[in-house]
Amino acid sequence: MKKTLSNFFSRNRKFIPLLSTAFLALAAYGIGAYFFAGMRNPQVFFNLFRNSSYLLISAIGMTFVILTGGIDLSVSGVVALTTVASAVLLREGWNAWGVILLMLAMGMTLGAIMGSFITYLKVQPFIATLAGMWFARGMCFFISDDAVTIDNRIFQIIGKTKVLIPGLTELAAKQGSQAPYITIPVVVAFILLIVAIYIATYTRFGRTVYAIGGNEGRNEQSARLMGLPVDRTKMLVYTFNGFCSALAGLSFSLFVYSGHGLYAPGFELDVIASVVMGGTMLTGGSGYVFGTLFGVLVLAVTQVLIQFIGSLSSWWTKIVIGVLTLVFIGVQTILANRKGGRQTVQAARESTGARRKRQGLVFGLGTVVVLAVAAIVIVPRLRPASTVETPENTQCAVKPFREDEAASLVKEGAVIVYHRTAGPLCVDELFAIYPDGRVLGDDGVNKVEKQVAPAEVEQLLTAISVDHKWFTAEIYSTYLNPCRQCFAHYIDISYNGQQKAATGVDGTTAMPPGYAFALAEIRPLLPEFNPEP
Amino acid sequence: MRKSMKPSITWRKITESRLFFPIVALSLILIFDFIFIPGFFAIENREGNLHGSLVDILRNGSTVMLLAIGMTLVIATGGVDLSVGATMAIAASVAGILMNPSALKNEVFFVTDPNYTFQPLWLVISSALIVAILCGLWNGVLVAYMRIQPMVATLILMISGRGIAQLITNGLRVQITYRPYAFLGQGWMVLPFSLYLVAFVFAITWFLTRKTAIGMFIESVGTNFRSSYFSGIDEKKIKLLVYTFCGLCAGIAGLVASSNIRTSDANNIGLTTELDAILAVVIGGTAMAGGRFSLLASMVGALVMQAITQSMYAIGVPAFALQAIKAVVVIFVILLYSEQVRGFIRRLSAPKTEV
Repeated sequence: MKKTLSNFFSRNRKFIPLLSTAFLALAAYGIGAYFFAGMRNPQVFFNLFRNSSYLLISAIGMTFVILTGGIDLSVSGVVALTTVASAVLLREGWNAWGVILLMLAMGMTLGAIMGSFITYLKVQPFIATLAGMWFARGMCFFISDDAVTIDNRIFQIIGKTKVLIPGLTELAAKQGSQAPYITIPVVVAFILLIVAIYIATYTRFGRTVYAIGGNEGRNEQSARLMGLPVDRTKMLVYTFNGFCSALAGLSFSLFVYSGHGLYAPGFELDVIASVVMGGTMLTGGSGYVFGTLFGVLVLAVTQVLIQFIGSLSSWWTKIVIGVLTLVFIGVQTILANRKGGRQTVQAARESTGARRKRQGLVFGLGTVVVLAVAAIVIVPRLRPASTVETPENTQCAVKPFREDEAASLVKEGAVIVYHRTAGPLCVDELFAIYPDGRVLGDDGVNKVEKQVAPAEVEQLLTAISVDHKWFTAEIYSTYLNPCRQCFAHYIDISYNGQQKAATGVDGTTAMPPGYAFALAEIRPLLPEFNPEP
Repeated sequence: MRKSMKPSITWRKITESRLFFPIVALSLILIFDFIFIPGFFAIENREGNLHGSLVDILRNGSTVMLLAIGMTLVIATGGVDLSVGATMAIAASVAGILMNPSALKNEVFFVTDPNYTFQPLWLVISSALIVAILCGLWNGVLVAYMRIQPMVATLILMISGRGIAQLITNGLRVQITYRPYAFLGQGWMVLPFSLYLVAFVFAITWFLTRKTAIGMFIESVGTNFRSSYFSGIDEKKIKLLVYTFCGLCAGIAGLVASSNIRTSDANNIGLTTELDAILAVVIGGTAMAGGRFSLLASMVGALVMQAITQSMYAIGVPAFALQAIKAVVVIFVILLYSEQVRGFIRRLSAPKTEV
């Protein structure tokens, strides 16, 4: 019995990473649904796909690249370039379909250029694609410095069309809830996934991709000696990934309806992490395109869980993804070492069996320790946060600034008007500070008031305008990005006859240091809304 | 061996030297600056301290130079360390939070007193560096003992490192006003203080690698780790050593960078500097596959990167658009190093002996 079981496992070992990822994704969602009623809403499940459609599209292309033993760091740059270029072309009045085709062609061209550097000039993949990323990001700013909004009708239609799920609509109608839906980018992503699975499994090109990767480049040589078209395949793989990046960029612009060169920072890391979690070996040669879907799902579920937990900040996503990547890479390394045939110095020195056991033991212990620490940190916080119960709140976006209201408050005599919106709890707070020391706050529901010394206000104003040079060019507005966890700030200051307003966003935006200082000075004066009744 | 005339031998020696390409590149950029940017070479004396564009290149390049020292050794063993940027952010966060722990209470109070610090300076610097060394040690253990591909192993810290840095600072930017700390990146003693730091680290590394056997061991591990193992070199310990050292260099660079902008910004400190550092090493002629390395050539490589940046700023290219130009230059440099072009130059340098 035991032997049959072990035989079964060793025969299907290649599926272990894939299955464990699928299990992890579903288990994480299950745990979330157990703790948070909001996650039982089917729409939250489908939002996983909606919010990560561009990640899935890009990860499919990356899977092929990684299977050949290469890597493509340029995806985030190409995504940003696509958003900017399409936004600007649409603003100029181009035809939407023409823009889409042009963007896809642009992505393929960029991919082909990088591929030819890698294939024919033997430049290391990560250096060539790194240069590609810099080039693409730099080009964004040659095209446009600021964020460009997309208000093209066809783009709006494509982005906002709801694709209802067959079978679930009636069910939802019976329960009286809204029918769950997905969007067109999700459909495109799944079509791409099916096509990619077919290509990888049933075509000559796909099998060559597997033949090239793995074994530290030795397999590539073998493939060449076997007469496989190695160069052509590698070129095609990078071109295909360029296509996927451009497609991902298009679906990203359907997500945010604007284009900017700083969009999708660190996106390539998310893509690589989801490919690795999907069970593809980073050394190439082994893995499944289908697994990538689960890698993307793990990432999406992690984000949703962290949003629902509420008290955990967004950077936990990065840490969790890092830990998961480590676990998967560790599992892969052990599995790869088990395969045998791979002669290492280690293998020559000691018996493989003892080493395997020791490595497994060390790794197992490490995993247990890491998971225990994570559990200690996360479990106490696993109580439903009252404000994020409803699915509407999890979809919270940066609300428009109440600029007119701020201007009228300034006219009434306020010296500082500060508006803060979004953040993990979706706030929308407007504060006004008057020269007599009155501080008024309004979050749309409650009003609060606080009295500080008038001298304090005067001191604050001097600090902001003199020390932090508020009325000089050193303070400028930074753009709004679609970060769902950050606060967006709007500060309007009137002092000594001068008036200036500037916006800023936490997180990935490069807000001017003086702005951050000014913010830090204003914040302690503000009254607190009572969040916990 | 071919017979050749004496002058061609010396020419060949020059062109084959590791320093040749980086110095040619640097001089090309400086000649460009000399022609197109008036006053680029002007150096003025302000209260005994030297200021000017050339000094700025050195000062702003000091973080990349520090990183390049560690990265050269890592690349010489055939590895790569992608996590240096994240390590910089972690070290800067540790230093920032020890000097101004207000962020932990979820509120930032503004400190304007330049003499205020929560912990003494020696504790701040040493704990930041110890944390950076731990980061390097972590990479080293993964690469040497878990036998994970270097790029993959360091990618893990690259992904999660910024998260860890934000965890340390509670996701807030920490202002640094403590003057002695700000001296690290902004102080001047005739030349910028950070340059002395770079020189110090460089001198120690040069001594350790060139006057002891460590340098030879590193090159030997990079050339062929198996035969190094059979000749009695403990390749694992060597790898562990270089990754740890790279972490330390990144930690110092993180301190300099955070003191330079007077903020400990977990999101932006050291963003994409790992690429600058790797490219500096590549421009310096150390092969990505490992083997022979030259610290001095990597230093010049770092200066090339910074000189490009500085001259583009001087002719008014916006900061972000600069990346595109950098990419083109990088591709150009890489092509210069490719076998095809090298062969072409070799043929040019000894045309008569071919017959």
